[in-house]
Amino acid sequence: MDVELGYSLQPVSLIALLPHAHFLLHSLSPSSCLAMCSQDIRNTVGNIPMEWYKDYPHIGYDLDGKKIFKPIRTKDELDEFLDKMENPDYWRTVHNKMTGTDLRLSDEQVDLVHRLQQGKFGDVNFNEYEPAIDFFSSEVMIHPVTNRPEDKRSFIPSLIEKEKVGKLVHAIKMGWIKPRRPKETAPKYYDLWAQEDLNTVLGRHKMHIPAPKMRLPGHEESYNPPPEYLLTEEEKLAWEQQDPEDRRVSFLPQKYSCLRAVPAFSRFIHERFERCLDLYLCPRQRKMRVNVNPEDLIPKLPKPKDLQPFPTTQSLVYRGHTSLVRSISVSPSGQWLVSGSDDCTVRFWEVSTARCLKTVEVSGAVKSVAWSPNPAPFLYPSPAFTLYSILYMKQVCELGAVEQRAVRPFHCIRISVLCGSQTLLVYICEYRAVRQVTWHGKGDYLACVMPDDNSSLQVVIHQVSKRRTQNPFRKSKGMVQCVSFHPIRPYFFVATQRYVRVYNLIKQELTKKLMANCKWISSMAVHPGGDNVICGSYDCRLAWFDLDLSTKPYKMLRHHKKALRGVAYHKHYPLFASGSDDGSVIVCHGMVYNDLLQNPLIVPVKVLKGHTITHDLGVLDVAFHPSQPWVFSSGADGTVRLFT
Amino acid sequence: MSQLQARFFTENKKYAIDDVPFSIPAASEVADLSNVINKLLEARIADHKHVEFDFLVRGQFLRSSLASHMDTENISTEEVVEIEYVQKFTAPQPEECIMHDDWISSVEADSEWILTGSYDKTARIWSLEGKAVMTMAGHTDVVKDVAWVKRDGLSSLLLTASLDQTVLLWEWNSEQNKVKARHCCRGHAGSVDTIVVDPSRTKFCSGSWDKMLKIWSAVPTEEEDEVEEPNRPRKKQKTEQLGLTRTPLMTLSGHNEAVSAVLWTDAEELCSASWDHTIRLWDVETGEQKSMLTGSKVFNCISYSPLCRRLASGSTDRHVRLWDPRSKDGSLVLLSLTSHTGWVTAVRWSPSNQHQLVSGSFDNIVKLWDIRSCKAPLYDLAAHEDRVLCADWTDSGLILSGGADNKLYTYRYSAYVSDAGA
Repeated sequence: MDVELGYSLQPVSLIALLPHAHFLLHSLSPSSCLAMCSQDIRNTVGNIPMEWYKDYPHIGYDLDGKKIFKPIRTKDELDEFLDKMENPDYWRTVHNKMTGTDLRLSDEQVDLVHRLQQGKFGDVNFNEYEPAIDFFSSEVMIHPVTNRPEDKRSFIPSLIEKEKVGKLVHAIKMGWIKPRRPKETAPKYYDLWAQEDLNTVLGRHKMHIPAPKMRLPGHEESYNPPPEYLLTEEEKLAWEQQDPEDRRVSFLPQKYSCLRAVPAFSRFIHERFERCLDLYLCPRQRKMRVNVNPEDLIPKLPKPKDLQPFPTTQSLVYRGHTSLVRSISVSPSGQWLVSGSDDCTVRFWEVSTARCLKTVEVSGAVKSVAWSPNPAPFLYPSPAFTLYSILYMKQVCELGAVEQRAVRPFHCIRISVLCGSQTLLVYICEYRAVRQVTWHGKGDYLACVMPDDNSSLQVVIHQVSKRRTQNPFRKSKGMVQCVSFHPIRPYFFVATQRYVRVYNLIKQELTKKLMANCKWISSMAVHPGGDNVICGSYDCRLAWFDLDLSTKPYKMLRHHKKALRGVAYHKHYPLFASGSDDGSVIVCHGMVYNDLLQNPLIVPVKVLKGHTITHDLGVLDVAFHPSQPWVFSSGADGTVRLFT
Repeated sequence: MSQLQARFFTENKKYAIDDVPFSIPAASEVADLSNVINKLLEARIADHKHVEFDFLVRGQFLRSSLASHMDTENISTEEVVEIEYVQKFTAPQPEECIMHDDWISSVEADSEWILTGSYDKTARIWSLEGKAVMTMAGHTDVVKDVAWVKRDGLSSLLLTASLDQTVLLWEWNSEQNKVKARHCCRGHAGSVDTIVVDPSRTKFCSGSWDKMLKIWSAVPTEEEDEVEEPNRPRKKQKTEQLGLTRTPLMTLSGHNEAVSAVLWTDAEELCSASWDHTIRLWDVETGEQKSMLTGSKVFNCISYSPLCRRLASGSTDRHVRLWDPRSKDGSLVLLSLTSHTGWVTAVRWSPSNQHQLVSGSFDNIVKLWDIRSCKAPLYDLAAHEDRVLCADWTDSGLILSGGADNKLYTYRYSAYVSDAGA
């Protein structure tokens, strides 16, 4: 039992009891003298909320009109708690709001509180269940309590009722009141979906898969099937020995003389059950099959017809060489073609007529020729000499000569070519086998490749105007296949067997290393814009690098059947060509856009055939005409061909 | 459809027949129609001799059966077909084959003499019978073009242009058979590929690989022009100088690539074809470009016919194209004649017939065309064994062609029906 709870429920009655308790407890012990002194103080403020005195030092006024001061009370929450824990009489201590003091209830007071809480009378001695006499019971006594006769009104009909009934009858007559509800004529059942739109139904059943239909009964199910449907004895035996799943029909066809003789179908429940299982378990799933048209996977490329002009037919054949034509080069004006061959000659051709105007014999097989890109003649410093065209060629020499000539590995010979004023400058390296020469776009520098796996002197750069030669690389990074100058910026491309390294010639550092993804690079060409490079390789691939994009090839073209030997870009037209050992030159449209967001468009447009394959070698070099969309190719059959 | 209604007519009064429609078999070809006309003529004229005729349906030569021709030309077979007939052009008769030492780069003939330029650095004069008359050796490189300037009695002036960047003006005396280089025209910075003399015979124009056209005086004088280049004289001392140096009167620049052919359309107008895919018309007086015709291929050669006022061009494809030089910029090709299989390197209009032209090509064949039959030529002159480089057609009806097989062929082409084709 919780005393505090009880106290809080009935504070008024308890307080009301307190004066009696005071008289009961009067002069009990000297210890309670202080309490008694305080008991004399009777607050006269009345039944008011004591919070009104919250802010005052007094709590009310006594009978004499003096202030009753609040007892000094220093109990805080902690003291309260300690008191609660330690004081055994805490539960019977109550706070008198009127005086602000604590009272300890006596046992009688607590008992009284308990009684009141239980709803009992405060007086202990009061018996609430004393015996009672039942005067008005159901038992009829011989002497009624009252003997009054019945009223007259209990025998005559009630007028008020008659009036009420008359009113109702009148109302029914007038039709104000319907005596009975009319019967509902609407049908009890109706088509719930009668009003529904067909389209919404279809929409709801978009994914509807109809249940598998049951096969309609055939002749076998007939009670009187044709005799060919009836099973013979062996067939019956075989049917019984089969697993139920393997049976063609789940029942034995039987013949009855008349429909009356047909017994009830014994497997009816079984069959219905199986049907339900079929409906329930049949896989109602729609498989999403991705229907891809294989033609959609091919990228949308423009038709070659729309990408004209590009070379389409063989127009001229430049005949004269007796051996492989290793290299060709076209003069910047487009008037002359020079070709170097294994028959130790360099020939000059007039492009428009295929006339060989000059043949220069040299002492070794010519591996590479390159026409100076400088169209204007420039003065050669030491002798007053006009230099029109410069070629480079390779001379094979004995190894014994290397030491002797090591002091001066390069020297040049001038040969008068074409007209009197035009001069062929022949650099001869008697040092090692030269593979390739290439010009810088301005025509002052030329680079020469002498592949050697071990030597650091694989690439040399000559400056023509100062007659100076330098070796740009201190270390060998593998066998150099070909080199090329960047057309605009001071970059230098060096292709080794698998990689193309891009060097910055001014900073003298490696800028980029392009992974060609092929076994052995054979040739390389730099786009005139300078941001794209193509590499041909001996494993039939052509890799297009976009230097802005990545160091991996942007496109790999595998349209040649044999090793590629030469690749070339056109200077103005968006064309590039590749020549291969399969005897064909493939011309591709390679459009490079100024917009950085647009990747180059590469479309193979034409396969040019003409060269005959000699000793398993087909086309050895390709070159574009500088101004026309024409491509030249030189082949192992000793011819140079022009395709326009 | 087996029968067609046809009405025949001709402009040659000699072979005129009645103007009535005939019903002729649709499958009939040129020979059948020719027989029909001959039969009619025999019935009309007692002493008629058999003549081969050629037939034109709406200005197009009949080259297949009548039905198929009308089918391809979209001519209705319901109506009466108007068929014009002309006497058949006889094939050019080969006359001479003149052997040279080297490739023949150019040829120009007049009524008496043939002038050829060759890759052996010489130009030669031949008689029409094929007799070598004169050899002019003076160029240090291949002679690319030659031209007659004029003839005063026995002495003639002629021009040779060469790869050595000069044009030489020669004076040739046919009586004494002596030749003298009068002027050496210097100024081009590339090989001079083409020269042409103006109608007044006092000027000539040259086109070069240095993209320039230069106009020079063709009148021989005794003075030498001053050369502007300061370092030239030193050079001149080295090389032997042939004739007096001459400098151009005017330079026309505008082409972006080499000039491959040049001609005068009249006294005041110059026409040049170039490797930059354009044909440009120039006003000679002002030196301004008047108009431009743009093609899609490199032009190798052009020819102009004052009779029909058409330009014919040969380019580095298989077609001979006809242009109207008077139309505005970007004009369309009027017609293309397609039968060659190689680059067309020479075209030349007939000087007398406005419908005919001759073309030479790298497929070794010279073709004689009538522009009314653009699908097939009139005749193929397949004498050359190598590429044809040049062709000419003289006023006297001589067709000449020279090529890389070192041979110059001449054909006599009877111009008897020059009026019939009109």
